[in-house]
Amino acid sequence: MGETEKIEVRDITRIERIGAHSHIRGLGLDDVLEARAVSQGMVGQKDARRAAGVVVQMVREGKIAGRCILLAGEPSTGKTAIAVGMAQALGTETPFTSMSGSEIYSLEMSKTEALSQALRKSIGVRIKEETEIIEGEVVEIQIERPATGTGQKVGKVTLKTTEMETNYDLGNKIIECFMKEKIQAGDVITIDKASGKVNKLGRSFTRARDYDATGAQTRFVQCPEGELQKRKEVVHTVTLHEIDVINSRTHGFLALFSGDTGEIKQEVRDQINNKVLEWREEGKAEINPGVLFIDEVHMLDIECFSFLNRALESDMAPVVVMATNRGITRIRGTNYRSPHGIPIDLLDRMIIIRTVPYSEKEVKEILKIRCEEEDCIMHPDALTILTRIATDTSLRYAIQLITTANLVCRRRKATEVNTEDVKKVYSLFLDENRSSKILKEYQDDYMFSEINEHEEEVATAGGGGAKRRIDTGDGDAQPMEH
Amino acid sequence: MSYQNWLDYLQSAEKNSMMSGKLRKVHYKFPDGRQMAEEYNMDTGIVQRRAWRKSKQLMGEPEWEIELGEEPRQLSWGSKSTAGGGGGDADNNMSAPEFTVRESNCTPLLTKRVTKKNIEWRIRNLPYSLEVYSVTAEPELHAIVVRTSNKKYYKVIPVPDLDRCGMPPIQGNISIHHQFNTLIITYQKPDILCEMEAQVLLLLKNVETETDMDDLLKGLLAK
Repeated sequence: MGETEKIEVRDITRIERIGAHSHIRGLGLDDVLEARAVSQGMVGQKDARRAAGVVVQMVREGKIAGRCILLAGEPSTGKTAIAVGMAQALGTETPFTSMSGSEIYSLEMSKTEALSQALRKSIGVRIKEETEIIEGEVVEIQIERPATGTGQKVGKVTLKTTEMETNYDLGNKIIECFMKEKIQAGDVITIDKASGKVNKLGRSFTRARDYDATGAQTRFVQCPEGELQKRKEVVHTVTLHEIDVINSRTHGFLALFSGDTGEIKQEVRDQINNKVLEWREEGKAEINPGVLFIDEVHMLDIECFSFLNRALESDMAPVVVMATNRGITRIRGTNYRSPHGIPIDLLDRMIIIRTVPYSEKEVKEILKIRCEEEDCIMHPDALTILTRIATDTSLRYAIQLITTANLVCRRRKATEVNTEDVKKVYSLFLDENRSSKILKEYQDDYMFSEINEHEEEVATAGGGGAKRRIDTGDGDAQPMEH
Repeated sequence: MSYQNWLDYLQSAEKNSMMSGKLRKVHYKFPDGRQMAEEYNMDTGIVQRRAWRKSKQLMGEPEWEIELGEEPRQLSWGSKSTAGGGGGDADNNMSAPEFTVRESNCTPLLTKRVTKKNIEWRIRNLPYSLEVYSVTAEPELHAIVVRTSNKKYYKVIPVPDLDRCGMPPIQGNISIHHQFNTLIITYQKPDILCEMEAQVLLLLKNVETETDMDDLLKGLLAK
């Protein structure tokens, strides 16, 4: 029973789900940071991409701490896409934390704590540590499970190198690892003795003839030489936040997995900063500053902004990239209005990258890329219509029509989406414009319409009209961004 | 060919010493964060046990690593027992499920001890006869290597004592012996090593020794 469950879980992890920005693989720049027209899933926004490329370069060099970059532009002009592109261009080694401005509002944690955790999640520390690993070819593996199906499993494995052979007893946890990795006789594996991590390196050359057919991804490796147990220097990449959590005595490292970290004391953080600096001097550790990306930064309030002002001055601060789609608007938590809803003093510390609306040609390219990403074959005419829809309504709506049109097309057992399919989904699903038009026409038939109207009158009469208008404006734009 | 570095290193450490029965235990705290513990037999002046604790970086207390002498016998397996210290039978396996992976208790087990004239390694649980083994000194590795012609056992044994006085291992000093499932490798100590050990003992003479707790207790009880 346990076996089948495990297999299912494996299958789910293998399928990558297609998200809004999963077609983006990088910034699409060449070696001299010039933006290619269409590359790595990015289209248009040449200036913004070039600017982002410079930022990426700055992060890679890792010398400058606490810079702030603002991506500003209208809704659906690719701000988040550029941020995702930056993350991809930086690679997996550099920490890239992505959060939304509204994520900091939690009842369990103060706003500034959430922000400083996010800042510290974006600083990586590479620590060199010596660990003991066992590396060898599996000669024999026995796993016995009790007849009742539950309870302790007993496992034994015999490993060998070219020179020696040893038997090992397996603990319960590692048996699970062995089963998950589907390890069998003839595999060359490594076991990290401290953490119990099992890694399959490949199959031994001597076992190459065991099967007539092997999968394409089967790697054949030499049987290791020398001793089975070796001391190897391994490099861990952890973030400062993880070190914080491990060292905050009240929780212990289990908090890392439960996510329930609570507030971490400033003293702990200071200690860790000092320790990390010490390690760096000794050459044991390397600091690897990354990027913190805050989407919808106008959702932060005045306290957060003033906290950021100070936090960015610390020499342990990452590069912060923010994105907003607001023009001159009220700063949250005050009655003052400011560009992008960010106080002027913080804006002064930023460099601003502007994204511009896409041209029709670029929209078509994006739609084409999305079609490929979703495995949808679209007729050129249908694509033209879709482009038209995208320019008239919004790019997001058009992208959503790709998925739905593809489903409609599959229902009539065709492989290529044609204009009829697009027309059909266009009539089935309303875009925001048409929906609000209908709302305006049939306002009276909807529930509570009278009360709403009444309330609005009171509000305007009360003199808070300007404020209310801004608030409703916020509400309109919000669904567009997601 | 000098042990001065080692003496200086010991000199730099913060040392504590205490007596326990016929053993003198010395604890060294080095400026680089490492710690060493030694047990000297008071009758012979020979080190019986020596263990190192190297500072670990990420978390947790580092474990003691035994360079010399027997590991304390454990009745039940600890979670991180590295070598087979005691008889772990099936019942004990069930009661200690936390371990991840360990050598089974029939695998060869290496221990080292030092006598007045020799350094000795015993490898238990090696049932093969004497012709199977080849024990060679490899100066490039600063180690002695044990090989078996049936490819069942292979071990690079570092010799830190020789490193400390800058001597490479010499093939001529090695002799091997096999009985009771045990391979015994004996390495005759060169003179310089004996000299170094004498110097270390002189150094330790100046370290103040705490009173034996057992004696103290006995004295108190007598009153």
